[in-house]
Amino acid sequence: MPTRRPAAALALAAGLVVIVGGVTGLLLTRHSIPAMRPAAVGVGAVPAPTGPIVGAFPAPTGPIVAVSQSAAPKPAAAPVSLTIPLIGVQTNLMTLGLGRDGTLQVPPPNMVSVAGWYTGSPRPGAIGSSIIVGHIDGDAGNVKGVFFRLRQLSAGDKIYVKRADGTLVEFRVTSIQQYPKDHFPTEAVYGPVPDPELRLITCGGAFDPATGHYVLNLVVYATEVG
Amino acid sequence: MNFWSVSTRRLLMLLAASALLLGIPAAATAFASSATTGTGWIRLAHLSPNTPAVDVYLYSFDNSKAMIVLHHVAYGTVSPYESVQAGDYSVAMRAAGASATSQPVLSTSVTIAAGQAYTVAGMGPESGLRLQVLDDKLTTAPGQAEVRVIQASLKQQEVKVTLGSTVLAGSLKFGTVSDYQPVSPGTHTVTVSAGGTDANSSVTLPAGTVHTLVVLDGASGLEIVNLEDASGSGKPPLGGVQTGFGGTAPHGPGSPVPWLVAIGAGSLLALTGGLRLRRNRQLTVRI
Repeated sequence: MPTRRPAAALALAAGLVVIVGGVTGLLLTRHSIPAMRPAAVGVGAVPAPTGPIVGAFPAPTGPIVAVSQSAAPKPAAAPVSLTIPLIGVQTNLMTLGLGRDGTLQVPPPNMVSVAGWYTGSPRPGAIGSSIIVGHIDGDAGNVKGVFFRLRQLSAGDKIYVKRADGTLVEFRVTSIQQYPKDHFPTEAVYGPVPDPELRLITCGGAFDPATGHYVLNLVVYATEVG
Repeated sequence: MNFWSVSTRRLLMLLAASALLLGIPAAATAFASSATTGTGWIRLAHLSPNTPAVDVYLYSFDNSKAMIVLHHVAYGTVSPYESVQAGDYSVAMRAAGASATSQPVLSTSVTIAAGQAYTVAGMGPESGLRLQVLDDKLTTAPGQAEVRVIQASLKQQEVKVTLGSTVLAGSLKFGTVSDYQPVSPGTHTVTVSAGGTDANSSVTLPAGTVHTLVVLDGASGLEIVNLEDASGSGKPPLGGVQTGFGGTAPHGPGSPVPWLVAIGAGSLLALTGGLRLRRNRQLTVRI
C-alpha cells in the first residue's frame, strides 16, 4: 500500500522533531545558575579592607603566649561592615532582631543589597557564633541580593568584619552547608561554641512561587583567624 | 534495507541519550553533605596553687613535634580554646624553660571528639600534681546559662559556692570540679564561703552562654575568676530564614516530567513511523 508511506515518513519525522524539542526543553530548564568559583582576581572582586586586626586567638602552631582569661578581655565593639573580597561583597551592616513569630528578621525588600547582624548573637570576634544574614535576591526582575554569590565561597576563603571602634576581625570559611528550611539545624547554627565564629545565612535551592520563598537555607561557617 | 537498520540503531541511541539526560539532573540536585568539619576544641590550664610556672605542650598522638607550646604558664592561667582535628593527643608539662626534649614532669592522653570541647588542667597540690581532662559543655537549656565551679584554692580545702540564692556546690574539695547546672541568665553575686571567710564577686551570665567559675588563692584571701566556656544566641531564632524574594529564580524550572513525556512520545511516534515505513518497503520489494 504505497499510499501509507508518506504518513509513516511524516510520523517518523514528527517523532524526531518532538524528541529534539523535548531534549532541548529539558536541557534549557535544567540549567540553573552555575555554582562556579570565581577566579582569585575576578570581576567584581573587592580588595581586603585594611585596619588593625584584632585576634582573640594566638596563631595555631608554634610557640604561643598563654593569655589568661582572668585579665577580662575587652568587650568586642558592635559590627558595622562586612567585606568578602572573593565574591565582591562590601556592605554596611544593619541590626536585626526577632520578629513577633520568633523568626529572624531580614533586611526589607528595598534593602536587599545590605546584610544584617542579629543583635541577639555574639559580636564578631567575641566568643560564640555571630550571625549575619543577607538576601540572595530581590522581588523585582533579576535584582541580585548582597549574598547572591555566597554559594561560590569554599573552605579557606576570607571574610572581614569591621567594628564600631575601627578594629577589623578576619574570619576563614570552614564549610558551607544547605538545609531545607523546615529542617533548619538551630543548635548547629545558633548554639554555643567556645571560640569566635561567624555564620553567614542566605537562601538557596528552588524558589517556590506558592509560598514566595526559597526552600533551602545556605549557611557559611567561618572561624576567626588568629 | 541497511538504511533502515542504521536508522533504527540511531533511534535507539537517541533513546539511550535521553535516558542519560534524565540521570544528569538527578545527580546534580543531590544534597550537600551535612558532615561536620571534624574539629574539636582544647584549652590548657594551670590550677595548682603551689606549683611553679610550667611549659605546656600539646602533641598530636603520632607526632613528636609539638603542635602548641605555652611558655611560662603560671598558676591561674587558662588559655583560649584551640580548634584541632578530632583525634588522639597528649599533653605534657615541663618546668618553665626546660628543654623541649627533656622528660616531662607530667603527661596525659586526651581524645578529642568532633564538635566537643575539653579543658586539660594541672590540678591538685605540687606533691600530688595531676593533669585532669574536663569535658566542657557546649549546650544550654533554652533561655538559660550554664555554670560550674573548679575549686583550685589550697588555702581553703573545702568551699561552698552560691550564685544568688542558688547553691552551685555545697562542699567542694580542693582539686575537684562541680557539674554544670542551668541558672537563670543575668548578673549575679557569687559567694565562696569557707572557714568563716567569704569572697564575693559579681558575674554576668547571659542566656545561651556556658561558664566555669574558678576559685583561686589570691594574694590575700580567695579570688573568683569567671571563664566564658562557650557562647551562642540567647534566643535562637525559630526555623529557617527568609532571605530571598525570587527575583533571580530560574523561571519555572518545575518538573522535568513534561519534557520526558514529550521525548517518550516522540520516540514512540518515530519508532512507529520507522517500523511502518520499513514494513511498507519490504512489502513493496516483495510485490
